[in-house]
Amino acid sequence: MEQGKGEGAQPAKTAVEVTLRPFTLADVDAMMAWASDPVPYESTEPLLAFIKDTVLPHPWFRAICLSGSGDGDGRPVGALSVSPTADACRAELGYVLARAHWGKGVATAAVRRALGAVFEEVEGLERVEALVDARNAASQRVLEKAGFTREALLRRYCVLKGDVKDMVIYSFVSTDPLPPAAA
Amino acid sequence: MEREPEMEVTLREFAEADTEALFSWASDPRVVRFQRREAYSRVDEARRYILDHVLPHPWYRAICVGSVVVGSISIKPGPAEEGGSRRRSPSSTRASLGYRLAHGYWGRGIATRAVRMAAEAAFAEWPWLARLEAVADGENPASQRVLEKAGFVREGVLRRYLVLKGRPRDMVMFSSVDTDRRNKPVEAHGL
Repeated sequence: MEQGKGEGAQPAKTAVEVTLRPFTLADVDAMMAWASDPVPYESTEPLLAFIKDTVLPHPWFRAICLSGSGDGDGRPVGALSVSPTADACRAELGYVLARAHWGKGVATAAVRRALGAVFEEVEGLERVEALVDARNAASQRVLEKAGFTREALLRRYCVLKGDVKDMVIYSFVSTDPLPPAAA
Repeated sequence: MEREPEMEVTLREFAEADTEALFSWASDPRVVRFQRREAYSRVDEARRYILDHVLPHPWYRAICVGSVVVGSISIKPGPAEEGGSRRRSPSSTRASLGYRLAHGYWGRGIATRAVRMAAEAAFAEWPWLARLEAVADGENPASQRVLEKAGFVREGVLRRYLVLKGRPRDMVMFSSVDTDRRNKPVEAHGL
């Protein structure tokens, strides 16, 4: 955060801190902010079901929260998950952030925190990978800034929103140096 | 030059009667070196594998040279994450291929022919298939060459992708996609 310069400069604001915490059902209203973009949900019911059926039982699903003056009261501004795959050594990272908080380094900070935690907590984990639409340059930059290595373009990989997409695969492995947790 | 009928490579379904043949390569440490499974030590393990895994599998074929079974090749529809599930998710467009060949038949292009034939069969049988992928161990250049010669494209190295016999392995990812096979222009992503 930049400090104001010149006469009557304000004291430096407390830096906004990005933290991760488990979700609760009470987070459903905050979740509407990113889930309803671009197609709005008409009610919270499907999201409540999602929290109950997918989020709460999930081994590693976290709310991305901002704490610090002026930027909210710890309400989630996004979500991040690290999901098991067919092999115990390999997990897949996914994240989503409300549009209002894009472009501020929030996702990068969240991913860095998640890496530190997940390599500590998950037994036998060697690799965290993330798949990003080949056209999503912003999300690719998040991963690069968080220290991931771009490995390959996986062609015709999966269907997203009705079209077969090429996806870029990134990884962060157990032998990579962990980034500093601070945003 | 005409290929001798004894050397013709064909694919057919497995039967329990192929137990001894499967055991011959599945018990060979050179063949299983880059596989999760340890080498079999008892023929009954091979028989159980055919009954429990091969026969119910969505696509598992014996590689034959003439009438001799010399290896196997299999294709699993759907993302690998679906594990043992036999039903692929409706949004899946991919399948993954694996193969193994008895050591005495290495170096003659047999695996390459088998991979080509299997890939053609998969794209012909499954209209939903857009991507057929295969991984080869980073220290298995022979297998990487098989996939390249069979027309697969090397996409990159996936670091510490699997743990094989206690050691993390880098795996090279290869794919053959529908747009290659139709000769359609492929979108460029500035890579």
